[in-house]
Amino acid sequence: MDVTRFVDDRPADGVFRVNRAIFTDQTVFDREIERIFEGGWVFLGIESQAENPHDFFTTTMGRVPVMVQRDGEGTLRGFVNSCPHKGARLAQTRAGNARLHVCPYHSWSFDSAGRSKAVKWQKAGCYSAAFEQDDHGLAALPRFEAYRGFLFGSMAADVMPLADYLGEAAKLLDLVADQSADGLELVPGQVTFTYEANWKLQLENCSDAYHFTSAHPSYIRVLERRQQELSADVVASVWENSDYWKEEAQGVAGGSYSFANGHVLNWGIFGVTPAIPLYESAGALAERHGEGRRDWMFNMRNLTIFPNLQVAENASSQLRVIHPLAPGLTEMRTWCIAPKGESAAARRQRIRQYEDFFNPTGMATPDDTVSYENCQIGYGGMAQPWLQGYARGMTATVEGGNRFSDLLGMNPARSVLADSQLCDETLFHSYYRAWAQRMAGGDAA
Amino acid sequence: MTAPITRAEAEDLLFREALLIDRQRFAQWLELFTPDVEFWMPAWRDEATTTEDPDRELSLIYYKGRRNLEDRVMRLTSGLSVASLPLPRVVHQVTNVLVLEADQDAATVSAAFTCHRFDVRMNRTDCFFGRYEYQLVRQDGAWLIARKKITLLNDTVPTVVDINSI
Repeated sequence: MDVTRFVDDRPADGVFRVNRAIFTDQTVFDREIERIFEGGWVFLGIESQAENPHDFFTTTMGRVPVMVQRDGEGTLRGFVNSCPHKGARLAQTRAGNARLHVCPYHSWSFDSAGRSKAVKWQKAGCYSAAFEQDDHGLAALPRFEAYRGFLFGSMAADVMPLADYLGEAAKLLDLVADQSADGLELVPGQVTFTYEANWKLQLENCSDAYHFTSAHPSYIRVLERRQQELSADVVASVWENSDYWKEEAQGVAGGSYSFANGHVLNWGIFGVTPAIPLYESAGALAERHGEGRRDWMFNMRNLTIFPNLQVAENASSQLRVIHPLAPGLTEMRTWCIAPKGESAAARRQRIRQYEDFFNPTGMATPDDTVSYENCQIGYGGMAQPWLQGYARGMTATVEGGNRFSDLLGMNPARSVLADSQLCDETLFHSYYRAWAQRMAGGDAA
Repeated sequence: MTAPITRAEAEDLLFREALLIDRQRFAQWLELFTPDVEFWMPAWRDEATTTEDPDRELSLIYYKGRRNLEDRVMRLTSGLSVASLPLPRVVHQVTNVLVLEADQDAATVSAAFTCHRFDVRMNRTDCFFGRYEYQLVRQDGAWLIARKKITLLNDTVPTVVDINSI
């Protein structure tokens, strides 16, 4: 595929443009599924989703149904959630506990390590020797690795180790994982929604500081009202207790980091404020990790691990998994992610803040997803095929990190330090450079 | 002595509530709730059970206090939310109304609902369905809603579900 048809990347000329067709073209989408979602590292879930022996959860990588299962000895593995006999989906639920999976179609069975337990009526089956010699266990994902409780799989075997793939961006997963010595958990209650637009719109929006005051004025007005009429009935907002996004804010307010392999962070200075549920641990976290890292845990951080994981710590804390269904249809699986062991009051505050901002039944996310749908409709207009949304920050981006990333000992590929109005768009370049790298070349395996 | 609520009276209140939402008479809709109303739509914990403790588990919507519903109405009608422009056309059908418990000044009522929504923006029709559970209280002779629990059975949300389509 000639990727220059879709990504016009000419740094020397100060040009970075993305063609609208990248969001609508069926051949592009099919190749993304093959090369990106079924051809490299993809986020599957977190360890606490299968905490105990024989626990499992299911998910999808591209078109591949996946089961992540812990065996009796505690080892986690990733399998294709499909019976080798006729291909039927094996585990039917999002999560569960099973020592034995019995296929509901012809009763082939598998233990929690994926090994074949029984082929029903095998002796009477008049099988050939060739069949008897086959392994009748579940197909393991070609690659399955964990980092700090974040589980990833790859349908391609010839990929770099997960640690290399995450690279310096792993230090941002550390900031999530280190918020409690006990680790992370997902608050019970998964929320799934769809939107009729391309998956890359979600990729971009998470990293897009420019849209906040434009897309969410109704939410901001609600926050202002609550601020004026504080009562026990309303939940303290992180946004109203921070100035970094307000246009009158002065000085460095945040910025962006870009990493190899398409990972990016958009961040802003929140400060150590009681509006953040983590506040109860502010002292302990500073002691354990130093003030610099502690302050980073309180910063607004929207992290994308390319291609399908986003951890958004802004109004609350959200784990998002992006699942592309068609060029113009995407499914989002979302959870409230939280440090284990926080107080009941902090957990309650986190949940309330989450529902209002992140839920598709809340007051902010629908104004994003409807905007994605408006983009998808607008992409039909190819009179100006090259989009102009990748240009802010072009003269501000520098190689390497800055004094803020130094606090984490983190060396990003590029960084931007921003005031409240810069709203860098060059971090999107990292997505599309990784995208182009994965999509380029011939079709031969 | 006043008599406990009858099914006909309960239906009258629930049908009136539905009509007020359908007709976008949100100010009158808000008047049906007590100031300390609990308005709750749980999320689903797994295939079979919804979340049960709003303080420890996620809800799709959870508010304690009518002022939060006022915020939602304000946002919905502010003209500042692209997801709410234009407002979808909705019709609620409330059926299977049962008075489960009733005394003179309080009642527990259950019902089933379907809400058909036509999203004029996307030329798309969706149907949401589930169950309602109400706590009603009589104040100054009128029945008000002190608690409304909405169990949304089809919870994969097509882009947006706001308070007017549940």
